[in-house]
Amino acid sequence: MQALDGVRILDLSGGIAGPLGVLQLAEHGADVVKVEPPGGRADRGSPASRVYNRSRRSITLNLKDANGVALFRELCATADVVVEAFAPGTMARMGLDYESLREEFPHLVYCSVPAWPSGVRYEDLPGYESLVHARTGQHWENTSFRPGPVFLHSPVASMGAMLLVPIGIMSALVSREQTKRGQHVEVSLLQGVLSLTTQNWNWTDRGQFQLPKTSPPGVHQASVYECANGEWIHAATTAGIAPTRSEASILGIEDLPFPTLMSMTPEARGEYQASKREAFRRWDRTKLIEELHAAGLGAEAIVAPHERFDHPQLRATGSVVKVVDPVVGPTTQVGVTIFLGTTPGEVKGPQPLAGAHTDEVLRSLGRDDTEIATLRARGVI
Amino acid sequence: MPGPLEGIRVLDFGQFLAGPFGPMLLADLGADVIKVEPTQGDGMRGSVVGSFMGCQRGKRDIAVDLKRPEGLRIAHELVATADIVHHNMTLGTADRLGIGYEHCKAIRPDILYCNTFMYGAQGPLAHLGGLDPLAQAAAGLEWEQGPVAAGNPPLWNRYGHGDVAAAMPSVTALLIALFHRNRTGEGQSMWASLFHGSMLYTADSWLGADGTPSPRPSLDREQLGLGALNRLYETQDGWLQLAAVREEHWAALCRVIRREEFLEDPRFGTPADREKHRGELTGVLAEAFLGDLSTNWRRALRAAGVPSEISVGTCDGETILFDDELERLGLVTEYEHPLLGRVRQFGNLITFSDTPGKQERAAPMLGQHTREILAELHYDEATIDDYRARGIVAWPDQDYRYSV
Repeated sequence: MQALDGVRILDLSGGIAGPLGVLQLAEHGADVVKVEPPGGRADRGSPASRVYNRSRRSITLNLKDANGVALFRELCATADVVVEAFAPGTMARMGLDYESLREEFPHLVYCSVPAWPSGVRYEDLPGYESLVHARTGQHWENTSFRPGPVFLHSPVASMGAMLLVPIGIMSALVSREQTKRGQHVEVSLLQGVLSLTTQNWNWTDRGQFQLPKTSPPGVHQASVYECANGEWIHAATTAGIAPTRSEASILGIEDLPFPTLMSMTPEARGEYQASKREAFRRWDRTKLIEELHAAGLGAEAIVAPHERFDHPQLRATGSVVKVVDPVVGPTTQVGVTIFLGTTPGEVKGPQPLAGAHTDEVLRSLGRDDTEIATLRARGVI
Repeated sequence: MPGPLEGIRVLDFGQFLAGPFGPMLLADLGADVIKVEPTQGDGMRGSVVGSFMGCQRGKRDIAVDLKRPEGLRIAHELVATADIVHHNMTLGTADRLGIGYEHCKAIRPDILYCNTFMYGAQGPLAHLGGLDPLAQAAAGLEWEQGPVAAGNPPLWNRYGHGDVAAAMPSVTALLIALFHRNRTGEGQSMWASLFHGSMLYTADSWLGADGTPSPRPSLDREQLGLGALNRLYETQDGWLQLAAVREEHWAALCRVIRREEFLEDPRFGTPADREKHRGELTGVLAEAFLGDLSTNWRRALRAAGVPSEISVGTCDGETILFDDELERLGLVTEYEHPLLGRVRQFGNLITFSDTPGKQERAAPMLGQHTREILAELHYDEATIDDYRARGIVAWPDQDYRYSV
């Protein structure tokens, strides 16, 4: 048994935060039905969509057709949650915004994932990821090798939002047990940014508390080193336990306690740092990481995303999964990333072909084969 | 209206970021969260004030020494009143202290118990703790932000994205488990980790049958964009983020920069052509944007339907914390802190229509609510004072040594 058995989610969302947020619930038992336009969502062919939209069923439904809208409303009666990430006003134009549904379906939890919070003066402006970064200062928060803004490769706004979406939905479902009513839950990409950077948004009459911007480099950036063969390592962080050896002794250089290092002249300190960088370059990365771990010190190989599947911890926790995608065939993907003792999660299958479950879902609404054929001929499904 | 988790009690034994952040979210959602803090203080109190405030608001705080029998008894009495126990201690530490899952389950059989780790509860590295950069390194984030593929060194993202990637999924796990408990009466233990959570950030990367990586957008060497049309450009007075990512934006952009001839140029005919000639196109656009003010570009681009924004800094919170609309919508909040005075912070991270909740407590001082919580557990004044005199519990006095 999975924890969310019997919970049904209608997922109309594209992009990152909606589908990847919902995925975390799909793989703990929720029956997620992707609702796509006939022919499928435009972004379903992207590499990312194959992961973000797995473990769910897919039906195609033309929501610009009154019959399609009527079928969707029938589905709402069977569902607990609706998730959408359209531009503001899109659902309202189809008569499917929360206001249009709440009276008939008071039990429904309706989760919207817009770029900008609804109600701000710029809510109707385009809200692509990088535009959210621009408005929230994110380009100016990374120190780099040159002054000026830094474009963030990681879509941090969507990433924060995809972590918040399942929290919002589950909170509303838990609350519904008391109130017997669903509600509207909104997670904007702007809130996604705030959630990943809460350390920055603290102000008192003394001004804003910010992470120190030392340039170059920040405390953690300073522990990035190059090993032999041009491989990079992030070394020398604490591992939360008492180390049995020091980093310097493993590297084979003089062991200088931090206060000593700080009391040296900048030149002498620079010389020591150079000798340390030199020492790292003599080490094979894999061997060095083994030594550091054995001594109870933190270290990791800095890898490209496609290299991360080899990590022993991912293997040991069953977090690398084989998923046979109906279009691209066998794939290796990241699996479930939270671990419940009694009701563990499970990858339930690939991103289905668009409409792969249309007939099965319509039959569950009582439509027979003739009616389904008619709907298909009319372009409703 | 109270938040959706009104009536749920959480004990937060965590320190630093990956532990306390999750319970802060639970407090935002309306849960009654008690931070059970060592008498010598959370390890992050003394360092970066903003970091501490960013993951501790909304909680009450009891300072208690769990290594003393009386202190441990207080913790156990609190567990008896709790729905959720949460912390980020390294593997085995909570068991040694006497607040492991088995201890808590013996006191409260349906307890929901969540531990966030660096690497997880099993596997060859499970015994190791660690910090955010290890997760960013192992998940591929630092490699891509360099970008190393273009010849740069790796670049650490300056916020603890890895810590948050443990904390937020830990809340998802707890809420899934709470839903299950409410249906079945059954509690359970669970975990999340910085490493596993960070895998979600790069979940879009997969391998084909022959091990070929899925294609991903790449950052340019200057760290300014993912392509010529989704990139930062310098103008006469600052930087502009251009996001002309859809086909209809291209023609409009060419008109705005007065280069209609590009529409006939075979180098830029299709998105694939434009990606192939990314360098050339970037050069042309970089030169063009230097020719006017950022506000003029933004106005002209908006009129033509081309998405762009002026890239602003977070300077003194002006762009977010002092935006009247965000305050009215509850995304910014303000309250008093006994030492810091007026505190303005990020508000609702999730907006609920019927159970909005409200942030009303700044990050607590060490032991700020010790007396109040002990009184709720029916300790009398004399015992409380005695425990404090013996260093079993603590609360702030004139010698308070932290700035938060």
